[in-house]
Amino acid sequence: MGVAQDPANVGRMSTLALLLTQGVNALSQAALLFFLGVGLTLIFGIMRIVNFAHGTLYMLGAFIGYSLVRYAGSYWLALLLAPLAVGAIGTAFELGILRRLYRRDAHAFLMVTFGLALVTGEAVRLIWGSDALQVPSPALLSGVVFLMDEPFPVYRLFLIGFGVIVAIAMWQLLERTRLGLLIRATSQNAEMVHALGVDVKLVRSGVFGIGCGLAALGGVLAAPLVTAAHGMAATAVIDAFVIVIIGGMGSFLGSLIGALLVAFVQVFGNYYLPDFALAFMYLVMLLVLVVRPGGLLGKEA
Amino acid sequence: MPKTNPLPALAGVAVLGLLMAAPFGLPVFAMTLLTELLILGLFAMSLDLMVGYTNLVSFGHTAAYGLGAYASGYMLLNSSLPLPFVVLLAALLTGVVAIGVGWVCTLATGVSFSMLTLAFAQLLYAIAFKWTSVTGGSDGLAGIPRRAGPFGLTIFTSKMGFYYFALACLLGAFFICRALVRSPFGTVLHGIRQNEAKTLVLGYNTRLYKIAVVAIAYALGGLAGALYAPFAGFANTELLFWLLSGQVLIMVIVGGQGTLIGPILGAGFFMLLEHQLSSYTEAWALFFGLIFIAFVLFAPEGIWGLARRLFARRGLPAETRHG
Repeated sequence: MGVAQDPANVGRMSTLALLLTQGVNALSQAALLFFLGVGLTLIFGIMRIVNFAHGTLYMLGAFIGYSLVRYAGSYWLALLLAPLAVGAIGTAFELGILRRLYRRDAHAFLMVTFGLALVTGEAVRLIWGSDALQVPSPALLSGVVFLMDEPFPVYRLFLIGFGVIVAIAMWQLLERTRLGLLIRATSQNAEMVHALGVDVKLVRSGVFGIGCGLAALGGVLAAPLVTAAHGMAATAVIDAFVIVIIGGMGSFLGSLIGALLVAFVQVFGNYYLPDFALAFMYLVMLLVLVVRPGGLLGKEA
Repeated sequence: MPKTNPLPALAGVAVLGLLMAAPFGLPVFAMTLLTELLILGLFAMSLDLMVGYTNLVSFGHTAAYGLGAYASGYMLLNSSLPLPFVVLLAALLTGVVAIGVGWVCTLATGVSFSMLTLAFAQLLYAIAFKWTSVTGGSDGLAGIPRRAGPFGLTIFTSKMGFYYFALACLLGAFFICRALVRSPFGTVLHGIRQNEAKTLVLGYNTRLYKIAVVAIAYALGGLAGALYAPFAGFANTELLFWLLSGQVLIMVIVGGQGTLIGPILGAGFFMLLEHQLSSYTEAWALFFGLIFIAFVLFAPEGIWGLARRLFARRGLPAETRHG
């Protein structure tokens, strides 16, 4: 900025810089969407549950994060504790209610998670009020860097890095650890895993908790960008559905690809064709489903 | 029917009599609620054809409702067609569009089917938001009139006349649905619900049946939407919002799926609860959610099933579920 440029070069440079900044923007958005989508897909893979409350738990994460930043004074503490708290709530919900419903059809889950969304949404309104709450990003990350002369918030770069780290950690967890093995096995054939002497119920409680915790992690991370607000729940749950549907329900890699695809469609769509951005996202989803009804990496449903 | 039990028919006639007499005994505000209930009941019942009878769980039934509402709103604002024609035309249009929707959505089954229906509803939502010249964008269509006619008839323009018109639509739709599920067509739907592969092997083109049921369900859902626009006087994107799809699905399940009557009761329960709770407490959604969870845990067969169980306990023969 502020540096005089050859006028003939300005157009070309700024197009390139624009592509770069929008691309980085999209990547950071993809990181947020990934936290949402991967939790939903894990839960679906193992429990065949469409968790309607996912967006509300994402929002709850943002609000708990707000309180922790405000009263404990540390963003990093919020980043650690808010997902744990929401994960605990998720586990409790699984233990108390979902567990009684595994012999029933999918409608039962749809209804109770819809009920959970209503209860949580209202509880948030009672505790934190109806206003959107500003969450400051930590001092360490509040600066701006210049990418090809365009200012760019450090926080968004941090999101990309954090997303990559969590994605790799999750992948290693699923592929290399005993817990990951159990999760993958249970999603393929729960009865067989049970017959081998594994407490499948425990795996389910754990995975539901982890999935909810990941949603909350996304919420805390999103809060400094978009403020903690009630509207974020509906947007988040729809985005999460779209990601998981595109990627294939229950597929880890699918949720990563879905998050990237949706983020790029959202960011570039909003920039170039703001009128059609929203419709474009659903068109991509429809197109994917028509070609592959189970999603890009999903089993044929 | 193995044995005819006169009780349900008698109860039906009694309820119908009460509904016919309602405008003479109820205050205006209650009539408004009752009219809305008829419309929502019709909407929920149309979804029951898919969910309860064919096991096609739609997450996007607002597509039908919104499409019907916008179509009827647009025609009432921009043409001089009389109200009943507009409403029926809007329903028909929704049904025709639904043939395409059904064709695409039935490419998939199970959860993917649900998600495709959601995708369509969301696509319409996005279109309604942006196609301002037709839909009014985020403001929606306002000031939708209840146009007089045909032949200069003005009965449907009054609140009371409109109530009877909505009642007639609901009754007509109910008898169509009942005839449908009791016909050979309905038997095939039942087969698809129980075991689609077997039904296919028996020589039925199950996909065509599913597309047909989607089209009929959307047409009737569109009818409900087409009634809502002149009832409320507006049509906006709220009518296409996914939350409404979730709500109507819950009406079906709380009321009792696969019963046609149940979802209408579910719609009534939903409206009553929302209305009562919101007059007692600001945090009505909290209790609303808790009551739903309790329903799933303790009364999985829904209100209609609960009522039938009560009758059965008193030694009265219960009607068969998919009668």
